[in-house]
Amino acid sequence: MKTLITISWRNIWRHPARSSVLLVAIIVGLWAGVIAVGTMNGLMQQRMDYMIESEITHAQIHHPEFLAEGNSWMFIPEHDRIAAWLENDPRVVSYTSRTLTDGMLQSPVKTSGVRIRGLDIESESRTTTFHENMVEGEYLDTDMRNAVILGKRLAEEHNMEIGNRIVLTFEDINNELTSASFNIAGFYESASSDYDRRNVLIRSEDFLDILADRSIYHEIAIMLENEDKATAFVADLNSEFSGITAQTWRELSPELSMLVELGGIMVYFITMLIMIALAFGILNTMLMALFERMREISMLISIGMSRLRVFLMIMLESIVLTVTGAATGFVLAWLSLWHFTGAGINLEIFAGEEGFAEIGWDQFVYPIMSTGEYVAIISVVITITLLASLYPALKAIRIDPLEVEK
Amino acid sequence: MPIVKTKNLSKVYNPETVPVHALRDVNISIEKGEFTSIVGPSGSGKTTLLNMIGGLDKPTSGTVEVNGVQITGMKDSKLIDFRLHNIGFVFQHYNLIPVFTARENVSFIMLLQGRDKKEMQQRADELLDQVGLGDRKDARPAQMSGGQQQRVAVARALASEPKFILADEPTANLDGASAMNLLDIMQRMNREQHVTFVFSTHDKRVIDRARRVITMVDGAVHSDEYQKAEEYDESKA
Repeated sequence: MKTLITISWRNIWRHPARSSVLLVAIIVGLWAGVIAVGTMNGLMQQRMDYMIESEITHAQIHHPEFLAEGNSWMFIPEHDRIAAWLENDPRVVSYTSRTLTDGMLQSPVKTSGVRIRGLDIESESRTTTFHENMVEGEYLDTDMRNAVILGKRLAEEHNMEIGNRIVLTFEDINNELTSASFNIAGFYESASSDYDRRNVLIRSEDFLDILADRSIYHEIAIMLENEDKATAFVADLNSEFSGITAQTWRELSPELSMLVELGGIMVYFITMLIMIALAFGILNTMLMALFERMREISMLISIGMSRLRVFLMIMLESIVLTVTGAATGFVLAWLSLWHFTGAGINLEIFAGEEGFAEIGWDQFVYPIMSTGEYVAIISVVITITLLASLYPALKAIRIDPLEVEK
Repeated sequence: MPIVKTKNLSKVYNPETVPVHALRDVNISIEKGEFTSIVGPSGSGKTTLLNMIGGLDKPTSGTVEVNGVQITGMKDSKLIDFRLHNIGFVFQHYNLIPVFTARENVSFIMLLQGRDKKEMQQRADELLDQVGLGDRKDARPAQMSGGQQQRVAVARALASEPKFILADEPTANLDGASAMNLLDIMQRMNREQHVTFVFSTHDKRVIDRARRVITMVDGAVHSDEYQKAEEYDESKA
């Protein structure tokens, strides 16, 4: 076997330029594949983490019809009993209760439909990172009376500045139209400009003063120890309490869930494209090498080299070539990933900072590759190499020395 | 017991369409230690006969025996193994492995036989010394002349310790001096070590050196004669 490997290695370097081109193709292909997979993973993970940590959380509780209808009287029954249950569940890291309703925002410029979100500042800050999105002014912990936080884009549409006053109109729990004026304390900018245009934040105590005559909550957002526990957790909640619907983030945001799955499919698609290109590269090189060496292989069979050994020799050439290229490609990819995991990949050159923000993405991506994905790509490379080498190797063992001599 | 024996050996190409009789009832017997030339014009069947004897081609009828073993009808894989242990080949185009050195080319066939590494090295060196290439052991084929490459091919053929060596027009691509040098070496090995050589050739220099000349015409043995071969010249070896 050692001699076969030696002969394979030397055969590879009979045509240094040709083998080098293929090696570079394998190295670049593998590197690009791993980086592409890692970047896609990173993009998906960042998007998922951002959405979960800043707003959606791992699980939410609502009145069964609230998400469809959005009426203020569809609040969560038995809120305090649920809160006590959450306090005692070890899976829960933190939770926050929100008072929500849909309404109208009026400014001297125009009127916009918005969702008004009444937040408990202390528990909200423990549960989500939304307060980190503040870009101007103060958050809801300001001393300002009837403070409201607007999305930067919504404020621009209304030509609003900090300190200006707006009017929010909505139905209270008795279906009576109610209006109240609020003072703009600050602007936020989330990863989604669409979200920024449609959501205004106020303190829940300010909200409850005009919405209802008691504490009512329409949403409880819950962060768990980890995402994997969400499904079992909501199942427990739904069986424990009637009159509510608990849902995981995947159910609450099917588009996000689909995006993550789509990312997975894209990853496989990219990998397969690279592998197919790799397979044809190997096949082409090995066939060229075989056609050039027909006389030599014919001689080997004539003097007594078994067809099995000829088969192994050809297979080994492909394997040695691919292993060399793939190993180099993986090392380069690993080093690149190691670098980019810290520094991030700046995607600004593709769409600009604004462009990414428009669609709710960060311009910096931090690639992620799991051990399983490395193993999967290595397995696919090995399989593809073996398959691509098979045809030239089978062709080699069918060589008839007499035909070659003719 | 003859080293090679053919019995009513015939080969017909395209029997269904336009039959070409490459061999017609060839009966020859070659004893150990012979230095035999198979001669004849192009298309006379000498290469076909050599291929039959070497187990590279299958006859339409008749049989070939090598050292008492009938190789006709032998399975391909068994035949390859049989060639490895019993027949040495020297080709017109040398057919050395270009990525191997002279020593590695000679050792390779012993490696296929599964011999001990030390023994392989030793025998390869001895054989290269015998063919006058003791100082070119680490040279690759591209660094050697045609005559030197053919001498490596002879050393390779001898390395497996075959029962006989088949050489298909071994001097066809060599200049006069190289051809004579090669023939000197082979003749010396034949005399001193009783190595059996069977050549196909139409090179007069080879024919003159052979002790037995089998002439083929139209696929049949036209004559089979022993002659006084030109003497081996020690000074040329």
